Amino acid sequence: MKGPLAKTAILLVGMYVFLKFILPLFTAPLPASLIFLYLALTFASAMIFYTMSGGSLDEFMGPVGRFLTGSGQAGIAGTARILVFVLFPLLVGWQTYTRLAPSDLPPAENRTIHPAPPGEFVGLANPYPRTPENIMMGKGLYAAFCSPCHGANFDGKGPAAVGFNPPPANFSDPGTIAQLQESYLFWRIKKGGVGLPVEAMPWKSAMPRWEVELPDEWIWKIIMGEYDGAGQSPRTWEEEE
Amino acid sequence: MGYKKIFNVALGLTLMVTGVGASCVFASNPPPEGETGSVAVRLFLTEGAVPADDPNAAVWNTIEPAEFKLAPQVHWPDRIQEVTVKSVKVRGVHNGEDMAILLEYADPSEDAADAAAVEFMVGDKMAHFAHGQEMLQIEGGDVNIWYWKKEHGKATDMTAKGFKTLRPQENQDVSATGAWQDGTWRVVFSRSLQTGDALDVQVTPGEWRNVAFAFWDGEIVDGDVKEKGSQKAISSWWYLRAEPPPDNSIYGYVVLGIVLAAGFEFFLVRKIRRGNES
Ligand code: HEC
Repeated sequence: MKGPLAKTAILLVGMYVFLKFILPLFTAPLPASLIFLYLALTFASAMIFYTMSGGSLDEFMGPVGRFLTGSGQAGIAGTARILVFVLFPLLVGWQTYTRLAPSDLPPAENRTIHPAPPGEFVGLANPYPRTPENIMMGKGLYAAFCSPCHGANFDGKGPAAVGFNPPPANFSDPGTIAQLQESYLFWRIKKGGVGLPVEAMPWKSAMPRWEVELPDEWIWKIIMGEYDGAGQSPRTWEEEE
Repeated sequence: MGYKKIFNVALGLTLMVTGVGASCVFASNPPPEGETGSVAVRLFLTEGAVPADDPNAAVWNTIEPAEFKLAPQVHWPDRIQEVTVKSVKVRGVHNGEDMAILLEYADPSEDAADAAAVEFMVGDKMAHFAHGQEMLQIEGGDVNIWYWKKEHGKATDMTAKGFKTLRPQENQDVSATGAWQDGTWRVVFSRSLQTGDALDVQVTPGEWRNVAFAFWDGEIVDGDVKEKGSQKAISSWWYLRAEPPPDNSIYGYVVLGIVLAAGFEFFLVRKIRRGNES
């Protein structure tokens, strides 16, 4: 058993080195998924070749084995066998082609939309009471500063919302501010897109860093107005537990 | 008969199926994001000279444009709530040495202060699309801005890293020509793909770059230019890539895959046949 296993291992390592390091000296490097596919094929072939006696394989495969070897076959079964034999390599070839065919699509973006906030913004409570006046003031400030992007209807469809990737958040969608605590919004509004950590791709965000223009008091009131206007309520600490 | 052997066959077959399955999964590309408009500018590979200073060259009409929507700049003061240029069509070509990018957009009047700009990230560091403004948790890089203004009649090759840092570069590598007709500007920017200047974007065929756009309507309204400075139409980052030369190695890999699969079949059948004979 030791001999064949060692041979298989050497074969696999050799194949890997060839695919991963030697081929790229001459052509474009192979994607990992294709290297994996080729190694799997090599491994399966080697296993069959080295480690099994034909008899046991035949017993194990039974009718499948008879189908594959074509013993005593004619007509439809014979044709089907040839079809299988032709189709399998073609399938592998086709997989190779679709993997390598030049793509005009830009790289996939895995942007984290709600990354963890910096520690100092965790668990802050809104220091202003939810009075009708405060909510009213918040809505007025929202209309002035936020609605061009996030929309007068809180739906992310303001007149200045186009052309941005990612687009301005839609607050009426239950997936945005309803999932978040007020302290999280306070962080996002104060520090803006540029305050995001790397996994959230701060270089792409058009969300302004409002701390340079708006006092904290306004930001807290805007948060109130935003939840009220969008018909959502913030996630609370109790839900978090 | 040995259980080990059965196990081995099962293992081999499973691996094979996973291999094919896994590659199927990896092969499905993600859908492009953004339902409206394009996500990328493609610089088509051509032979011969690129139309470096001709916005009306015939070759432009053979190229499918990418289209990007533009928003009034309300990110930082001075803001503007309404802009003239609402979207831009972008076409590009390169020949392995030089590239040319054509911006086509609607602007009802031709004015001395009409202007257009293309912005790129430079090097490996990510830069914010708003003039490479400071990011708080990561260190950003420079942006390279190609700026064209009607009354200048040329391009200015500029660098910025943060607000109020925009400045013309020492090495001016970009040229630009604009032509206005019937309410449409066509502005062509051109440069060599590589410049060797660390402040410039270097365009390598096959590699993705980040690009953004800005436009100013220079019409005089009540004695003042309508859009200037930070009052402009903008986009955030989109993608740009110079098309790589065709790569034939792919067919070699297809053949390799077919040979390996056929080899697998061959070994399998031979083994079973031998078993039958014994
Ligand atoms: C220039 C357009 C623009 C303006 C103006 C703007 N935002 Fe944003 N905002 C965005 C964009 C784009 C995003 C999505 C990217 C991100 O999360 O940074 C966003 C995201 C947010 C988020 C995060 C939502 C979530 O689900 O994570 C909040 C909260 C927010 N904005 C609040 C505001 C408030 C409040 C104002 C007004 C004071 C405002 N924004 C003004 C563009 C804008």
